[in-house]
Amino acid sequence: MSQPETPKQSENEELRIGVFICHCGLNIAGTVDIKQLVEYSKTIPDVVFVKENRYTCADPGQEEIRKGIKEHKLNRVVVAACSPRMHEPTFRRTVSEAGLNPFLYEMANIREFASWCHPSTPQEATERAKDSIKMAVAKARLMMPLQTIEVPVTNKALVVGGGIAGMNAALDLAEMGFKVYLLENTESIGGHMAALDKTFPTLDCSICIEGPKMVDCGRHPNIEIIANADLVKVDGYVGNFKVKIRKNPRYVIAERCTGCGECRDVCPIEFPNEWDMNLGTRKAISVPFDQAVPLIYTINKDYCIECYKCVDVCGAREAINFEQQPEEVDIEVGAIIVSTGFDVYLPYDMPLLGYGKYPNVITSMEFERLILAAGPTGGKVIRQSDGKKPHTIVFIQCVGSRDKNKYPYCSNFCCMYTLKHVVQLKEKYKEDIEVYVFYMDIRSPGKGYEEFYDRARQNGVNFIHGRVGRINEDPNTHNLIIRAEDQTLDLPIEVEADMVVLATAAIPKKGSDEIARILNLSRGADGFFMESHPKLKPMDAPTDGVFYAGACQGLKDIPFSVSQGSGAASRAATVISKPKWKIEPIISVVDESRCRNVTAKCGICEDKCPYGAIKIEPNKPAKVITASCHGCGTCVAECPQDAITQLHFTDAQILAQIRAALEENPEDKILAILCNWCCYAGADLAGTSRFEYPPSVRAIRVMCSGRVDRDFILEALRLGAGMVLIGACHLPYDCHYISGNYKMKARTDALKNMLTKLGMSPERFRVEYVSAAEGIHYAELIREIDEQRKALGKEKIKAENAKLRSIIENMLRRKQQK
Amino acid sequence: MPLKTVKKDAADALTLEWILHVKRYKLALDKMRCVGCQICSLACPKEAIKIEKQPKVQGQKAKKALVDIDLEKCNFCGICDVSCPYGAIKLTLNGEHVLSVLDKESYPELIRDIKVDTHQCPKDCVECEDACPLSLIKITRVGYDGNPVEDVATLPPSQRKRVQINLDIQKEYCPTCRVCEFKCAPGAIKVRKFIEGKIAIDQKKCPDGCTDCLDVCPITGALYLSEKDNKVYVNELFCDYCGACKVVCPVDDALTLKRTKIHHTPVRSGAWNKALEKLTSPVGTVKELKAHSSQKAKETVCRRFVCEEEIR
Ligand SMILES: Cc1cc2nc3c(=O)[nH]c(=O)nc-3n(C[C@H](O)[C@H](O)[C@H](O)COP(=O)(O)OP(=O)(O)OC[C@H]3O[C@@H](n4cnc5c(N)ncnc54)[C@H](O)[C@@H]3O)c2cc1C
Ligand code: SF4
Ligand code: SF4
Repeated sequence: MSQPETPKQSENEELRIGVFICHCGLNIAGTVDIKQLVEYSKTIPDVVFVKENRYTCADPGQEEIRKGIKEHKLNRVVVAACSPRMHEPTFRRTVSEAGLNPFLYEMANIREFASWCHPSTPQEATERAKDSIKMAVAKARLMMPLQTIEVPVTNKALVVGGGIAGMNAALDLAEMGFKVYLLENTESIGGHMAALDKTFPTLDCSICIEGPKMVDCGRHPNIEIIANADLVKVDGYVGNFKVKIRKNPRYVIAERCTGCGECRDVCPIEFPNEWDMNLGTRKAISVPFDQAVPLIYTINKDYCIECYKCVDVCGAREAINFEQQPEEVDIEVGAIIVSTGFDVYLPYDMPLLGYGKYPNVITSMEFERLILAAGPTGGKVIRQSDGKKPHTIVFIQCVGSRDKNKYPYCSNFCCMYTLKHVVQLKEKYKEDIEVYVFYMDIRSPGKGYEEFYDRARQNGVNFIHGRVGRINEDPNTHNLIIRAEDQTLDLPIEVEADMVVLATAAIPKKGSDEIARILNLSRGADGFFMESHPKLKPMDAPTDGVFYAGACQGLKDIPFSVSQGSGAASRAATVISKPKWKIEPIISVVDESRCRNVTAKCGICEDKCPYGAIKIEPNKPAKVITASCHGCGTCVAECPQDAITQLHFTDAQILAQIRAALEENPEDKILAILCNWCCYAGADLAGTSRFEYPPSVRAIRVMCSGRVDRDFILEALRLGAGMVLIGACHLPYDCHYISGNYKMKARTDALKNMLTKLGMSPERFRVEYVSAAEGIHYAELIREIDEQRKALGKEKIKAENAKLRSIIENMLRRKQQK
Repeated sequence: MPLKTVKKDAADALTLEWILHVKRYKLALDKMRCVGCQICSLACPKEAIKIEKQPKVQGQKAKKALVDIDLEKCNFCGICDVSCPYGAIKLTLNGEHVLSVLDKESYPELIRDIKVDTHQCPKDCVECEDACPLSLIKITRVGYDGNPVEDVATLPPSQRKRVQINLDIQKEYCPTCRVCEFKCAPGAIKVRKFIEGKIAIDQKKCPDGCTDCLDVCPITGALYLSEKDNKVYVNELFCDYCGACKVVCPVDDALTLKRTKIHHTPVRSGAWNKALEKLTSPVGTVKELKAHSSQKAKETVCRRFVCEEEIR
């Protein structure tokens, strides 16, 4: 796809701007004097047609716009009505129906930002509305026609991680008829579930229910499993990803291996089986477990002695090739689902629990392998120290989880799997076994889970509410003495046990940082992948076309992983089921002639773009990957050369808005630049909630606070603005564009420092964080700023500005010369 | 508890362990039996064994080299156990001496071909027992009544004839040096060395007064000090070609040692071919492979080395 050019306005085009002013019943007209607005609008240069409407968004109102465009040959339209967050899409449609490019229309928010928030000062509200229209017209003059961008879509998907979540996603997509590549970095798909014995709360055998799904994946004509392989690189963008995968050598040729296992039988070498939590062993040529899919044997060269017994027995099949090399394959997909799961924490660094030191202290995952009939002990729960069956087993919950010094979060499924383990033990060994569970809280909020907890209690399990302080071992018997605090009785308690099972935290998968880097994903403070929106887009990654399924996004048990797998599949299908993908053209474009990277090493934009949407090659101008650009404008504000423009939010347009806003009495005004998703929405809410605040504010909307250029602030001050406010999403995670707010903060912190050093009162330039829910906060904020403005007084402001002006002018001029 | 790996270095033994839930692999090196030759380190397919030469203290005898095994690299295959001429390394699984490389014929067993015909033994002879440099021979006698006989000389001649002699050789520790055979006048013991080879010392290159090789040689009589020139000479008859001497010799080329053939049970094994290459030479390996007409294996050896004409 070619890069869109920076559209140029045709020089000799005569501007014919139409302004449509909405009464919104009495919502606007009840406070704002519409007559004044109409008369005022007619005086604005280039405005050739002004029309008022009772309800502009209703059909007749829209018809007026269409008529106006046709009859008066309007080539720009300004609608002064409600918030653009409300009806911008409606009027875009309206103007395009009349044959005007939808990006040649602008909205002036005179309801939420005037009538509703200044009801007791109608004249000031009217003045604010006038300025809003003037600012909208100022922007409209500089607007350019833009085309919605369409990119073709590859109708295939890649699923990274073949656990239960990934398998379900792959199967669903395959059933919808899409080709799916299922990438797994271990030898077999299956994930953790394949290693479990039973599953709560129904206690059905894990591999018995997962095995058939694994086989289905292996057999489905639309699924290609690429196991024992790593994700190396992903290029491209939504609908068009180019993926490089490295298949690691198995030293067995996949197509020739029949999975007979004869080689395993003749191989003399055994090594600890990691898949078995190293409780048992496997052969140097083997599969990690019998039900592995794909059923291809693998030689572990770390242990193999190269006796070639396997080669002999494999004979004419000639499946073994010691010379096999890693192989890189390239695939193209339209969407990617990440389902890389989790790891289990091994508490070697909690010495008081004795894991790794005392042979009879194990983790729950190890317990799964012990109680599993196909496991290394044949399903016998026995102690490592003497091979005897334990009579007293203590389970300890929240090991590492909900621990401020380790993993502060709850690992979600540990309570339930421990309940499973104790029920299994009690129902298998009955009176022969004594079971204790030390817990902080038992969390059983799923379907049938609380009933399962009851089942455990009825089975006579001793539940003790308390955190374990330490475990000691009797060196002769290897029994363990558990010391804890019984919080119910508020007494110290001591229990002697033959075996201790630690329900250890589930933690972010090793290699998640690498996956995050390759796919440009972000991770939360807990290390799990961050979704685009925690409520409404729980399966969407911040990178378009990438989705999450399963525990990699946040810990969840099997039913939820399965559901999310299906959910992610349907999200991915919304991309790959389309022949083309549409992108709003508010993206960034690089003016190649100005980009510094051509002659020097720059790359600031590549570094600052939260989406990896800019690519830099030495001595070449920066390139924006249009389909990956989310249109935050951070790069535009960062570019030292002003070589980047954000379409529809150009420097010229925003500066024109600032100039229009500050044309009269600038010292009395608060110039506010608000990000669309949080602060602008919060200000809208202040209006809809009728929170009244001073009408001295003039607000400009940008998509992201990351777009706020230093020049905007400087220009506002140069023009004499009384106060300047930048409104952004809350740190650290609220930014709609991942981290635009951080980049804005870094930039403005430095600027503010400098300005205060030059004599500006610090309160005159503020950066504030307001969420879409904080209407009241916005109103209070403006009240506070206005108080400060008054306290400073017009004269002081003027004096400061006079002092600043020449320096600022110098700075702005220097920049223009560059 | 998952895999626990343990390494202990005590005065008399070096032990490595893998402790799994139900399996316990243990590799133990008996330092008393170890002579510091390099056979194990050459045979080890994982190159996990290092031979560490000990610094020489002026005025003292040279010390045998020490063996160190890397726990990270060792895969408990037991090839060192099988290969050690002195039986100094033992691999056990849950306490039992298990060698799956032998069971699966992935590696050959060294053939300690020792034949004893006790009928030929003089009834009171203990020459071999005394001669064995490693004290591996135990002679016991049983009288006509089945009772052990302590001193044959005390028996009346009629009973003396009916004394039965049992000669017990701890074969697993025997390096087949043939000392006993040569000490046995009637020829009751026949030993075939399992390693054949050549050893020579170029006395011109030996530093004056150096007896390092002799100091560490475990076989009495394989090396000796000549009174003539106070230099060490070889008695090839007794040499078992273990190479303990070669390890400590301070001068290049003063001592040359070549193993040319190893007697072992028949196997087809890449691991053995590799070990053989290192223990003998590519030439030796190819010779053996030629003998077994294993063309494919021969090619891989040739590929790995720039083949001399001789090999082809
Ligand atoms: C001891 C224990 C007992 C449990 N018992 C139950 C139970 O009884 N019932 C229940 O509902 N839940 C249980 N769970 C939870 C259950 O294991 C998880 O809900 C489930 O495994 C999550 O599935 P997943 O596919 O998201 O992740 P995983 O099962 O972790 O699968 C992830 C897959 O992705 C692969 N992968 C990882 N990184 C990469 C990469 N970079 N490239 C390619 N592939 C990659 C992994 O190899 C793996 O195959 C238990 C968990 C534990 C620890
Ligand atoms: S060559 Fe390696 S994998 Fe094959 S049988 Fe021998 S030890 Fe096992
Ligand atoms: S920084 Fe923002 S606007 Fe610039 S290229 Fe990246 S996503 Fe687009």
